[in-house]
Amino acid sequence: MKAGDKLVWVIYDITENTKRTKVAKACKNKGLYRVQKSAFLGTLNKNQLDEFKVMCEDIISPDKDSVYIFPMCEDDFKKVKLLGQAFDRKLVTDEVKALFI
Amino acid sequence: MQLVINTYGSYLQKNGDCFKVKTDEQIYEIACKKISSILISTAACISTDAIKMAMENNIDIIFIDNSGDPYGRVWHPKLGSTTLIRRRQLEIAEIDEGLNLALKWVRTKFNNQIGLLQRLKRTRPHKSAEITAYIGKLQDVMKGLNSLSGTISGCRGTIMGLEGSGGRIYFEILSSLMPDRFKFNGRSRNPAKDEFNTLLNYAYGVLYSRVEKACIIAGLDPYVGFIHTDHYNKKSLVFDLIENYRIWADEVVIGLFASRKVKVEHFDKIPNGLTLNKEGKAILLTDFNSFIDESIRYKGRNIKRSNIIQFDCHRIANQLIGDKDESRG
Repeated sequence: MKAGDKLVWVIYDITENTKRTKVAKACKNKGLYRVQKSAFLGTLNKNQLDEFKVMCEDIISPDKDSVYIFPMCEDDFKKVKLLGQAFDRKLVTDEVKALFI
Repeated sequence: MQLVINTYGSYLQKNGDCFKVKTDEQIYEIACKKISSILISTAACISTDAIKMAMENNIDIIFIDNSGDPYGRVWHPKLGSTTLIRRRQLEIAEIDEGLNLALKWVRTKFNNQIGLLQRLKRTRPHKSAEITAYIGKLQDVMKGLNSLSGTISGCRGTIMGLEGSGGRIYFEILSSLMPDRFKFNGRSRNPAKDEFNTLLNYAYGVLYSRVEKACIIAGLDPYVGFIHTDHYNKKSLVFDLIENYRIWADEVVIGLFASRKVKVEHFDKIPNGLTLNKEGKAILLTDFNSFIDESIRYKGRNIKRSNIIQFDCHRIANQLIGDKDESRG
């Protein structure tokens, strides 16, 4: 992770399909990784985070939907326990330097 | 990170701000923001939209052949900087300033090799005496550089000769440090005859493309070299400059052998030699990319190895156009 980058969780509950898809797409475009159907995780810098917040505000209906953006510190991330189908820890913290496909 | 497309028949396209890669089994989506360059090492398709997004975000797309040589690159049609740098580059090739620059690079190469051998010596006490002897030989060859003066064209032959004999000494000792199964007999290219050379050629190939990119960004002409002569389509400056950084490829490859990561299964036989297969490429590039992403102390600052190439190229360019602060260093 670069200095100034923050590890964030984005979790949402959105009733309308089109809006949900738009938020999911916004997450992907910002470089977050999908860890569950409505949960994304990744590193963003402050500007990207603000941008993302504004984008989500425009998409959702505030009286029905919710989007949670949780920052997480690196020390706590190291303590995360993963069971079953887990995500790639190194990928979300930008430690992977070459991605092979 | 670097996106490496290594699966036959992949299809790279654009989707929103993401690159979408389709293979027979899976679809991947990677945000454009996370990618620094795209390396294609197998047969694949790319959509023009994907190329456009890559160009707009300064991501270069490099095509690399089976032996690791970059055979093509998609890059935006801009010069990178001012033509003044290229004019000056041509001018100093004729005078002693060019020779001094070139000699500096050759010296760095020798010093890098000696430095690496000294590091290897520490972890291999039983070979210590042998390595010391070879370091001595290299230092003797290096002394030959001190007597040179005048213009490049006058002493090009001598420099190349010294480089050649230095290389022979260096690779001889490296071979003797390899595990028995992977000992090799000198350098071989097109195709490589043994596992060590196969890995080394591939790593050098990746390094070439990085050096070339750095030259273009800094505004240096990759085709106007000093030690290497002009020739049709010869990237002489890239060949000159890479001497400063070859050591990284060497170190990664030696590390792979030392940690027993290299397996015979990573190589495919071709007529007269070997090539790396998919797994082999993945192992080499993973280690190489994380190695050059490490920060080291360089000219008084902490800087990632991958950024050093760019840093050096900018310095050279600034020197050429007479930035006084830079020309002292």
